[in-house]
Amino acid sequence: MKLAADRLLGIVLIGLAAFVAVQAMQLEVPFSYDPVGPRAFPLGLAIILAVLSCVLIVKPGSNETWPGRQLGMKLLLVLATLLVYALLFTKLGFIITSLLAVTSLSRIFGASWGKALLTGGLMAVVSYFLFTHALGISLPSGYWVEPLL
Amino acid sequence: MFDFLIHGFDVALSPLNIGLAVLGALLGTLFGSLPGIGPINGIAILMPLAYTLGLPAESALILLAAIYTGAEYGGRMSSILLNVPGDAGAVMTTLDGHPLAKKGLAGPALGLSAISSFVGATIAIIGLTLFAPLLAEVAVMFGPAEFFALMVFAFASMSVMMGKDPIKTAIGAVLGVLIGTVGVDSSTGVLRYTFDLPELYDGIDFVVMIIGLFAISEILLMLEHANRKDGNDGLPPLGRVFVSLKEVVACKWTMGRSGLIGFIIGILPGTGASVAGAVAYTTEKRLSDKDNSFGTGNMRGLAAPEAANNASAAGSFVPMLTLGIPGSGTTAVLLGALMLYNITPGPMMFSERPEVAGGLIASLYIGNIVLLALNLPLAGVFARVLTIPRWVLVPGIAILAFVGVFQLHSNLAAIYLMLIIGIFGYLLRKLGFSLAPVILGYVLGGLMEQNLRRALSISGGDLGILWQSGISLGLWIAAFALLVLPWLLPKLLQAKTRKA
Repeated sequence: MKLAADRLLGIVLIGLAAFVAVQAMQLEVPFSYDPVGPRAFPLGLAIILAVLSCVLIVKPGSNETWPGRQLGMKLLLVLATLLVYALLFTKLGFIITSLLAVTSLSRIFGASWGKALLTGGLMAVVSYFLFTHALGISLPSGYWVEPLL
Repeated sequence: MFDFLIHGFDVALSPLNIGLAVLGALLGTLFGSLPGIGPINGIAILMPLAYTLGLPAESALILLAAIYTGAEYGGRMSSILLNVPGDAGAVMTTLDGHPLAKKGLAGPALGLSAISSFVGATIAIIGLTLFAPLLAEVAVMFGPAEFFALMVFAFASMSVMMGKDPIKTAIGAVLGVLIGTVGVDSSTGVLRYTFDLPELYDGIDFVVMIIGLFAISEILLMLEHANRKDGNDGLPPLGRVFVSLKEVVACKWTMGRSGLIGFIIGILPGTGASVAGAVAYTTEKRLSDKDNSFGTGNMRGLAAPEAANNASAAGSFVPMLTLGIPGSGTTAVLLGALMLYNITPGPMMFSERPEVAGGLIASLYIGNIVLLALNLPLAGVFARVLTIPRWVLVPGIAILAFVGVFQLHSNLAAIYLMLIIGIFGYLLRKLGFSLAPVILGYVLGGLMEQNLRRALSISGGDLGILWQSGISLGLWIAAFALLVLPWLLPKLLQAKTRKA
């Protein structure tokens, strides 16, 4: 099983090398005094990558253990949390989104609801004032706050 | 000859810079003590802070370097107390450090490791002071062809020394270089691999890359240990707090030897603290393990890797400051940080920007003393950091990552890119890659291409220029030997024994 992962990776990387090479060949290069131009370097890299990938397919190395179903679900939850955090970051503002994101992450990493909510509230508010007042970073306050200010 | 150092102390002794060295040492030790966060992650997470503060280049570098050396100190906490190395450099520290803690000697072990770290770092910083200006004088003669050959050598040395799988190290480096080619080509204005996305025209931003690759992937990786009990089930008691003078004196030659080994290994490009610690430990075991007590809580077995990994951290500044070639993943990050200030480290830095080169070296002396002063009395406080639960740590890292990227770019595209790079970093780590080559490739790739193209425009396209001079030819041969020997030597030896 672990051998298969590296072989698959090798094939994917050869695909990447081919893609890099094709893209490099398609570059339209204006006349310049540079005898190498922007194509050669990526082309060379693509060749090296392809050769190394072939070695990897022939002699696969070891992998870490892959997450099982339960861990995979948590992984997706973390990614979803981070994505939602990013999506709403400017819309709802730093405090609200951080409260949500921190609470959610805390929960996923094993805190009880109470602890997670407390961490979320404290971290969102304290870090907002720390960043904006002590460090002078401007953070999105969110559309909902602006009318209140 | 030491004008730069005198000038450097002028810079480093300004109240702002002393304050930054202390702050960096403190933050670095705290971050290094956090389970799973090594120097490179610590710098990645804290780097945006340096920019936010609007610091001049030398001050930012002093802060970041103090975080780096501080994190090397902090890494020993979880190694000794929990048997969990904070990063690759601290692996050897667990071998004798944890048995000592189990014997109830955690306090003396922490004390001794702080002193060994101090001695090792001091040896290496003196080495850096003596050696760097000399190397810089030689390196001034380097043209683009020599730099290109030097980078080939650096990648070769890295593939052989770094990580356990040379093929994967090399692939990681190539992937890093490829990521570096994204964006507008500086000499022709051609857009490469931007897929018509305006956000990519300037290339993949350094801060986004670092934070994504290290901080975000670390969050994903930590999930696996979320349910494992860390420090929560109680730290071993520290025992008596201070290490006795007799114990320290018994290790004096160990520290000296290991510091020297660490410094030399640190200079070689691509070989970082992990190699230094391992070589120092095995050397010391051979030299002074008379009663076979290494691995069961021998003080020397703890002093050796601790002196060596801190020495290698200081040693890795040598190639970075004089040649512009980082000696480790962490110095690659520092190099990238300097480039954000439009400073390209290299041989000219000692003459053109002495306040940066000298200020950094001087601040290493100061930082080292600060670290010893912080670490001896405060070991117990730093040990508490280990008990911070992950459900507090992870959201904290997430907030720092988001704010760090957002305040530099004020747009969401950078944050999405950071998340994508984070997933990429997670997959690489899961596939058995180490991330240091990727970041070295990313930082060095652009310079490598520039030097190659500059060399070939000088020669009018003739490839011969690349190995024309003695220096570059020597580097090519050295690089070739590095790649071939590890593969060839065992076969030759085998052939010999078969004959005999």
